[in-house]
Amino acid sequence: MQNKLSFHQSSASLEIIGLPDYSNNENKDQISIISQWKLTIVDKPLIEGKFEHLGPIMNAFYIYSNLLIKNEIPIYKSKLIDIKADNLHMHNIVLKSSKPNVKPLVLKIGNSLLSDTINCFDQLNESPKVRIKKTYIPTKIPEKLRFGLDKKINFFNFFIPPFIAICSLILFSSSFIYFYSPFENIEKKELINPE
Amino acid sequence: MTIWKLRNNNPLRKSYVTNNIKQNEFDALIRITVEMSKYLYPYIREIMKSKEDIEENTVIWNDFNKRFNELIKERFNINSMRVKKLLNQAENDEIIIKSLLTLSFCISNQGYQKLKNFLYDF
Repeated sequence: MQNKLSFHQSSASLEIIGLPDYSNNENKDQISIISQWKLTIVDKPLIEGKFEHLGPIMNAFYIYSNLLIKNEIPIYKSKLIDIKADNLHMHNIVLKSSKPNVKPLVLKIGNSLLSDTINCFDQLNESPKVRIKKTYIPTKIPEKLRFGLDKKINFFNFFIPPFIAICSLILFSSSFIYFYSPFENIEKKELINPE
Repeated sequence: MTIWKLRNNNPLRKSYVTNNIKQNEFDALIRITVEMSKYLYPYIREIMKSKEDIEENTVIWNDFNKRFNELIKERFNINSMRVKKLLNQAENDEIIIKSLLTLSFCISNQGYQKLKNFLYDF
């Protein structure tokens, strides 16, 4: 008898069917060996597959959603799934079958269905009852993006901008010396009124 | 009161105060935002849905957009270029949709960590 677990979010639901790993002394309601999964999205064809397809599909959705938010070109392509944005609100998903002579399944989903699907995958990732290799969720913060929120203003950084501003002002104004010479004017006045 | 003060760290606000927000205060704000997103997810979803089909009724989107603009005009420094961009009808659709999407992706138990990473990536 196989175990069945469902994760629901508004218009999407994800069903995981599988068995516990008894050799690992797992509980009978645990799922570690996934035999099948089904993703149901309201008004869309059923998406189902084997265990080996679940990871790449979840990765595709996670990577695509990250690209979408980070102002990068939202296109994801792989052997199994292609996702690209039609516009700001609609996303085009092409699911390619691993079986020969089977036409790819094309789905168009909006932002609401995309977020429902992502949330179903999140629930699966966080479920203690399902043991799967955790899929791509950006958890590491790149070093270059770490910014010190409570960093005190450095004394050097505080004074260097006005210092550069003053220096550049002096440099710029010193060029006017070529256009106006006060000593020449004094000499001219002396020539006009020689007293 | 503390949260109210923390809001003033936003440089786009009229009442901007140059306090340096502390790491734990920043984390607290993220946690509050995630909890609010969980609670408001059905509304966030409906707002996004109403914009998906142009032929469908876009009353929810229009109401949200109107209120968003009103709040920006009321509370933000409208002389700032970034605020002007937020109020520009041609450009703000993308900003609003991406903000709503970010919130809707962060309603899980790990939502706090996800939102934090999204914010660091901006």
